[in-house]
Amino acid sequence: MTGYLIRRVGQALLVLWGAYTVTYFILYLLPGDTLSIMLSASGMEADGLSPADLAKARAYYGLDKGLIAQYFDLLGRALHGDLGQSLSLNRPVVELLAERLPQTLSLAGLAILLSLVGGVGLAYLTAYVQWRPLKVALTRVPSFGFSIPVFWMGLLLIQVFAFGLGWFPATGSKGFESLVLPAITLAIPSAAVYAQVLQRGFQNVWQEPYIQTAFAKGLSRAQVQARHGLRNAALPILTLVGLQVGNTVSGAVLVETIFSRNGVGRLAQEAVLRQDIPVVLAIVAVSATAFVVINLIVDLLYPWLDPRITHSPKVA
Amino acid sequence: MNAPRITRALLASCALALGLAACSASNEQTTGKTLNITFFGDNTTLVSVDPFQVYWLEHRVLLRNVAESLTDQDPDSGKIIPWLASRWEVSDDALSYTFHLRKDVTFSNGERFDAQAVKTAFDSNKAFAKELPATFGATYLAGYDHAEVIDDFTVRLVLSRPNAGFLQATSTTNLAILAPASYKLTATERSLGKIIGTGPFTLDHYTPEVGARLVKRAGYAWASANVKNQGAAHVDVVDISYVPEESVRNGLFLQGKTDILWPRNPFSEVDSKLFQSKGATLQSRSLPGPALNLYPNTRNARVLADRQVRLALQKSIDRVSYAHTIYNADFPVVSGVYDVTTPYFKAQTEKLAYDPQGAEALLDQAGWQKQADGYRYKDGKRLSIRYNLTPAETAGDVLIQDQLRKVGIELKINVLTRAEWVAGNSQGNYDLTSTYMTRADPIILQTILDPRTANSATLATNTYEPHTLETAQALFDAGITATQGAQREQAYGKLQDLLTDEASAFPIYERVWQAATSPRVKDFRWTAEGFAFLSDIEVGKP
Repeated sequence: MTGYLIRRVGQALLVLWGAYTVTYFILYLLPGDTLSIMLSASGMEADGLSPADLAKARAYYGLDKGLIAQYFDLLGRALHGDLGQSLSLNRPVVELLAERLPQTLSLAGLAILLSLVGGVGLAYLTAYVQWRPLKVALTRVPSFGFSIPVFWMGLLLIQVFAFGLGWFPATGSKGFESLVLPAITLAIPSAAVYAQVLQRGFQNVWQEPYIQTAFAKGLSRAQVQARHGLRNAALPILTLVGLQVGNTVSGAVLVETIFSRNGVGRLAQEAVLRQDIPVVLAIVAVSATAFVVINLIVDLLYPWLDPRITHSPKVA
Repeated sequence: MNAPRITRALLASCALALGLAACSASNEQTTGKTLNITFFGDNTTLVSVDPFQVYWLEHRVLLRNVAESLTDQDPDSGKIIPWLASRWEVSDDALSYTFHLRKDVTFSNGERFDAQAVKTAFDSNKAFAKELPATFGATYLAGYDHAEVIDDFTVRLVLSRPNAGFLQATSTTNLAILAPASYKLTATERSLGKIIGTGPFTLDHYTPEVGARLVKRAGYAWASANVKNQGAAHVDVVDISYVPEESVRNGLFLQGKTDILWPRNPFSEVDSKLFQSKGATLQSRSLPGPALNLYPNTRNARVLADRQVRLALQKSIDRVSYAHTIYNADFPVVSGVYDVTTPYFKAQTEKLAYDPQGAEALLDQAGWQKQADGYRYKDGKRLSIRYNLTPAETAGDVLIQDQLRKVGIELKINVLTRAEWVAGNSQGNYDLTSTYMTRADPIILQTILDPRTANSATLATNTYEPHTLETAQALFDAGITATQGAQREQAYGKLQDLLTDEASAFPIYERVWQAATSPRVKDFRWTAEGFAFLSDIEVGKP
């Protein structure tokens, strides 16, 4: 078990380093360079400046190092916990993340919770219902939920619940009320996936011999479903939750824009567009860490939840 | 018993999440009269509310009410009028400007506004421009050499070379005078909202991409003659928020959650009608500076190197239908290279008239023959124009494409990221491109179309054929060294003629800035720069 853990942590570090490095070089491969974007943003194009002025501007923005030198400089400092300075936001990246991350984390946390409640609830209901037409209708709901575009759902929710009924604010990041609509918007596609997977899981589980045994013991349908069905059908959901964490940053880009929220998703999108390398690298590092850690936890949870799975090597 | 247990576990975790989320900051309660303004998204490329660095229009609106300038500009006549300076003299060689300052002005931190403060402001700006020559304010400060404190309330600003736009520059937000204490801070601190001025409001805080709050300053009493309310502001607080999503922004306004809806682009006809049906007033003003022009690349044997083709292109654009279909029937039709609010504007209505037959005749003469597919060809090559734009095409771009197709010109709309667009401009990899700047003086065109001072020397060079470039530069020189209004009028008049006659600029639409004000907002008034004096605004019951 210890060996397994060390191996997994080693892999995780490798993944982190890979993500960091690939992102750095991709940003350099993008057309245009950071200096031109920064100058253009302050109303000047690089070709309008003399070489001496260009050198000054390069030094002002800290861009006067070579590609590789800058990479090692950034990496070295990142290892010491210094994620550098955002070029356009004029602030340390750590400070930016400290300000933005809680916004996205609370959004993602509530969204995951809502998607679990919604997805598991729907699948559970589908499995429990025995009236055929309703069962079929419920089986179709996930594909519907998955195919609605996120931005459209967000606007629809705003229209109905913010502008129509006035229950929740349409925009902003202040207070719990402002979190509800964005979290629902972000939760719907994942809830649909959970429901889809779990519905299929229940279908398969119902055919297993231990279900027959459970019925034969005299348990009611509700008891069989809760005690024997759900526990066996729900295992793949765990993997999906692990994957969903990685999707929250990308999902947050849209949701945070629609609801004018001030989170990491929007920060990431804008940092990429203006090639603000330290910010993009920091966000990639943070989300990759979250992704790796959650998936590690998921893997470690498996044998605990299902004793049939074990990480010890099988010797023939 | 298991099912209830699961339900209970789920409920408990829900409650936990709700509880955690509820711990975040709750809504701030405001007392007194609050004016809510909603702009579109914040500038995320250059985050700064330092007046000297800011080019973002929305930030300049905010700053105009926090920091004030030596002079002001009459929005109707373009004349420079007293503000923090009660009068001034300009030397005959237009190189030295002596300002006599008001004696009753203080900064919001209690510091006295005096000659030394003005010197500190101009010298600090000059030092910053030296460190970062690309900063926006540098163009306003062009030629500034040093300041001499004559006495406590008299200061002389001395230029090393003529700058006919300098007096106007002293009226702009970019050369607003901040308190000496502000300049002791770093540029970064100022950028993030540590701005101390003499204005009717103080900047309470600025949170990038979220919003800003202005708080009324009691005891304010030195407004310029442009402001009707000469005393302290009518509203106590101005809450500014940035909402990037258009439908959400409009919804907030229709719900009465914001008083002034102020996006960058003019409202569509549908939106304007909807707002007006709810009792809103649409405020409009053409932003001073160049109109929304397309600039050609006439170099390297590209298709627009041929003046005939450029003139044909000029004639193929139906500006009336552009204004009326993209915006609305009341939208002004662009009538020159500058917007009408720019001093020394000269209308070119005749030369910009829609004349598809004339365009077709010119193209025929130039050897471009129409073929069966409706496009024109010469030596087997299609008449195709590459138009670089960022970040997204608009309905207007597609309309132009359609108008040009009617005379047989293919307009290739080339949508690029900002980085690619910048690179395209500097490499001359385009036939048409577009850019703009806002300033109520014709001198602003030098930052676009004079290769010696332009942001992009390549764009500025490419827009003229070689022989035209010399004439244009001579006119720019005549304009900036002129000491009399009549001389400037002549120089900039000729320049505008030249740009139209040579088809070195293709005006598309008047850059009108529109704001919708709710029925409870009274006395919204534009400044010469196209901003608003918020201290004039009263909010009441509709």
